Amino acid sequence: MSAFARLAARWPGPDAPLRVLAASGQLGLGIPQMAFQAGVARKPHVIAADMGSIDPGPVYLGSGKMAASPSMARRDLALVLRAARELDVPLLIGSAGTAGGASHLATVESLLRSVAAELGLNFCLATIGADVPQSMVQAAEKEGRLTPIGPMEPDIDCSVAIVGQMGQWAFAKALDSGADVILAGRACDTAPFAVVPVLLGYPKGPSVHMAKILECTSLCCDPGGRDAMMATLKGDGFTLESMNPARAATPMSVAAHALYEQADPTRVFEPEGHVDLSEATYQAVDARRVHVQGAVWHDAASPSVKIEGARFLGHRVVMMAGIADPGFIAASDDILSGVRDAVADLIPSEPDAPWQLFFRRYGIDGVLDWPTPPVTPPREVFILGECVAPDTETARAVAAAARQQLLHWGFPGRLCTGGNLAIPVTPPELDAGPAYAFSLYHILQLDTWEALDALFPVTLHDI
Amino acid sequence: MVLSELACVVRSKNAGPTLLTIDVLFADEATFARGSVALTAEAVAERYGHAVENIQVIAVPAARAVKIVLPRAVPAGTPGDRDVYGAQQHALLLELAV
Repeated sequence: MSAFARLAARWPGPDAPLRVLAASGQLGLGIPQMAFQAGVARKPHVIAADMGSIDPGPVYLGSGKMAASPSMARRDLALVLRAARELDVPLLIGSAGTAGGASHLATVESLLRSVAAELGLNFCLATIGADVPQSMVQAAEKEGRLTPIGPMEPDIDCSVAIVGQMGQWAFAKALDSGADVILAGRACDTAPFAVVPVLLGYPKGPSVHMAKILECTSLCCDPGGRDAMMATLKGDGFTLESMNPARAATPMSVAAHALYEQADPTRVFEPEGHVDLSEATYQAVDARRVHVQGAVWHDAASPSVKIEGARFLGHRVVMMAGIADPGFIAASDDILSGVRDAVADLIPSEPDAPWQLFFRRYGIDGVLDWPTPPVTPPREVFILGECVAPDTETARAVAAAARQQLLHWGFPGRLCTGGNLAIPVTPPELDAGPAYAFSLYHILQLDTWEALDALFPVTLHDI
Repeated sequence: MVLSELACVVRSKNAGPTLLTIDVLFADEATFARGSVALTAEAVAERYGHAVENIQVIAVPAARAVKIVLPRAVPAGTPGDRDVYGAQQHALLLELAV
């Protein structure tokens, strides 16, 4: 019998208080230990964590690498695995290894196995894949079942990796199959937090709303932070409390967090339906706890899955330089465009394999296009050159040529004839590795619920 | 008065790699009312150099918040992108007259 089966067998129903402990919204980047242990001491019935995101950009999905360092990921896995096994409660981890593709899942599975061996723990592990076959997306596009989310042209044929965000369906199947620990590929942030309450009979609206807030742990507090967060579900609502006494969940901080990273402030869409937050209420229980209720769940007629794809672009090299000369700063528009032309003369871009060179001028417009120039010009400007080329050698050559042109570029009124740049480190060109771009960020509409079984296969392992 | 003096939070973040969302939060009803009037789609479009039809402005009274949604110039992490997480794109709004 699994940890979940034992919980379900003794569970009296949704009127009993169910404690869900959110260990981390970014497992692998360092779980604050004191708050997590305070949460464990409260004897949660479920421990869940999110390990990934699309926010760090396309490089992790494309390359199959994790954003977290393996040693920190191992530390965090040891923390949650030991606690879950000691309490004999389900442990659910979503979006393994940042992007949740096959290689990310394999990397984290291997770390988890090594932690389990070291701690001498035995349990049933379920891994859930989230890779979407290219052919399935191509068929969906032909049949009009692929919808963009925001401005992006799909590039299915060039995608080197495609994942889909699984919802509660696959997690529920893994729990029903006897898993004590679930390690999932790309998943909705909410799914690992919401699935156990829903399976135990708590209403879906509040369960998913709870998960939406809890998945960022104490970010919903004042002051916000990364400490573990506890939700206690009871009846048709739930109470939130940070496991760090210095962080307070207030009606305003929690209501505001429900907006975070969401284009739609009142609806959160999942593969199985959506939750409507427009009637949700947030009431203070005391100075640092909030009771929430009123979210309403609507089942979808058929499932839909958010998919993410990455395509390979080439290799990236960056160059860095500082400037303090006011004449150069004043003329930098003309200088940079002159340098770009000079580099293009030196290293002609092949029409079928062009290179790209971008300059960012920190102090002027490195972050934003300001509507008006500053009243006083900046004293110093930092220039970051980014070159992406089909191969590393070309990228290095373009970046080095750009640096050398910038260093000795002549301009009217120039005083600094010794050189225009303060080179901060040497070499000033740094190889940033393979470069990727997002090729898909779309909704894939499925015809049947069973299609979710094929898309997110559950594999059980005796550890 | 400008927005940075009126609001208690002005934050930006990606809403997925294609969209940017800016949340402006206010400490009380009076500042929320004043901020809501100033934060029009036209005013935001002008600051960000976007067509007004690309800008959504949604008032969320329960959180005393105004949410703004706009498309990113390029998807997050594309070569030339200047802000992969979209976390510093709020700054153009700070000097908006309210």
